[in-house]
Amino acid sequence: MGKFAIFQFYALLRREVQEHRNLFIGAPAVVALLILVASIWVITRIDQQQLAEGLRYVSVVFDGLSPFDMAPFFMLLAIPFFLTLFICSVIYLINTLYQDRKEMSVLFWQSMPVSNLQTVISKIVAISVVAPIFYVLIIFAMYLVAMIWLTILGITHDVDLVGIGWMFLAAIVSLILTYLSAIVTSLWLLPTIGWLLLFSAFARKTPLLWSVGVFILVGFLEDFIFGTQYLGNWVASRTADPNQYLIFEFSSLFERIFDYDTLFGVLVGSILIAGAVFMRRFID
Amino acid sequence: MTNIVEAKGLSKTYGSFTALDGVDLSIPSGAISGLIGPNGAGKTTTLKALTGLCDVEGELSVAGRDPRRARHKLMEDVCFIADVGILPKWLKVFQVIDYVEAVHPRFDRVKADKFLGTTDIPSNKRIKDLSKGMVTQLHLALVMAIEVQLLVLDEPTLGLDIIYRKEFYDRLLNDYYDGNRTIIISTHQVEEIETLLSHLVFINKGKIVLDSLMTELSEIYFEVLVAPDKLGQADALGPIHVREFLGKKSYTYESVPRAQLAELGELHTPSVADLFVAKMKEAKNG
Amino acid sequence: MKNTVLRNRYTLLLTTLIVYMVVLVAEGVITDREVRRVEFENPYFDLNLNDLEEFRERRNNNSNTRREDGGDV
Repeated sequence: MGKFAIFQFYALLRREVQEHRNLFIGAPAVVALLILVASIWVITRIDQQQLAEGLRYVSVVFDGLSPFDMAPFFMLLAIPFFLTLFICSVIYLINTLYQDRKEMSVLFWQSMPVSNLQTVISKIVAISVVAPIFYVLIIFAMYLVAMIWLTILGITHDVDLVGIGWMFLAAIVSLILTYLSAIVTSLWLLPTIGWLLLFSAFARKTPLLWSVGVFILVGFLEDFIFGTQYLGNWVASRTADPNQYLIFEFSSLFERIFDYDTLFGVLVGSILIAGAVFMRRFID
Repeated sequence: MTNIVEAKGLSKTYGSFTALDGVDLSIPSGAISGLIGPNGAGKTTTLKALTGLCDVEGELSVAGRDPRRARHKLMEDVCFIADVGILPKWLKVFQVIDYVEAVHPRFDRVKADKFLGTTDIPSNKRIKDLSKGMVTQLHLALVMAIEVQLLVLDEPTLGLDIIYRKEFYDRLLNDYYDGNRTIIISTHQVEEIETLLSHLVFINKGKIVLDSLMTELSEIYFEVLVAPDKLGQADALGPIHVREFLGKKSYTYESVPRAQLAELGELHTPSVADLFVAKMKEAKNG
Repeated sequence: MKNTVLRNRYTLLLTTLIVYMVVLVAEGVITDREVRRVEFENPYFDLNLNDLEEFRERRNNNSNTRREDGGDV
């Protein structure tokens, strides 16, 4: 891939972030702020003695523990962010190939020497690889603020804070795991990404309605024509276990990516994504 | 002279509406070509077809490529400005410029900045906060900084006030056109561009009604003010259009030999606007 | 074939969905798919504060054992 192609792709990703700052940066920042504010509100209402004991306890508990072992605990704290990213991703994907047709800016985008394939791929990469970077950075900022604040509390309540340092390290490691989880989830849910993009590109109005409606219809038709429910089974397999979305240790990364179900999902997702790419020809 | 656009039998329907009905078109390289027609005639559809933004049936070659295949490759050599403000509303001016610079191999940032420097466009404003005239200025500045063979403009000055319109064509001719590039402009405001054109195309109801170099027009079309005593003679020669003008009748003829018409009075070439009206009326009357 | 599939957005959608369903149903038939919960080894998922306490104690015992062996901390 030539240097120019890399610049081009970077510009496409940059465009996505610039056009969707609310989803990529605004939403997680709001969530982080809410969590911090809520925490402050709770802590200022706790009896100070209890607070000091709580801090001491936490410090003792975490002291000396390997950050890699404790990191998974912090991933659970990131759940609000996972949910936010999931919702923002759905909003992003269902709108991204629809919005520019609605407001006619598609004529500008398509008057540039950027292929439909490049366009669609850049949007997938933007939401699966780039957006989580922003989310993780914001969570990091939140942990940093919390850490500073806990340190101050510790000092003012005369608590030994060594353990809190370990806790912070574990939180950092958890951020890496969080990022990897986001990537793995995108891979795992590639069919969903493809489905949303397909209808984003197809619909003249209400793309979300189309994507949900056709999904139900297709499931119904499958039962009617084949008498089978593989679509239902398949979707259920994909969503049944929350475990599927989170990576708790680095060693499981490889096995998750090369799992048969993941790879089959990539195949199915690619079919839908190809449909979305060709669908970009029909912009009227 | 080669043709930069060769189109044969272009057809496009939207449901029951026929936008293009067998359009044959040839546009020579280096021409400034005007695509003129009433609203709904098929101008926008034709231009979109040429730039690959609209799928059509028929044979089509633009700058040596089929726009329906590698549109993105074609866009390295062709630029397009549409009438409706199509720059992305939520981006800021400098973000759009950065984007084009990164994405277009033939974009000259220095030129673009120079063109923009002569406008009042603030670089930090969002596109949606600019006036329509400024958006067109911006788009034109971007396009003029790109080395392309063909520039396609679809009613670029629609809705702009006169100052922006005049400036638009000034820049286009003086700063951009170098005799090698081809420009295709569509409009229904004929008077504005008729002095610029070197090639003329009339389109009506999805069909091409006229396709001619301006230099050839004066050999084919004639207008003559006929004195009352010669009216019978004038009618007999088969005019395509007759109208009242300053108390006399003005007859327009197509492909009638000059010698035959000379007797009727002083001949001159009809203005593009008058010719347009004549051809439209002719089509209407069958 | 390309002309039929790419005739308009509806034919393209239909084609994509048909290919999608055929692949899904074929795979379902071949692998005899039921609702499959993919099990991944995950000792941490049920972690809560009590477990953390136990976990800590276990770890302490381990490291204490190590110290007794004269190893470095």
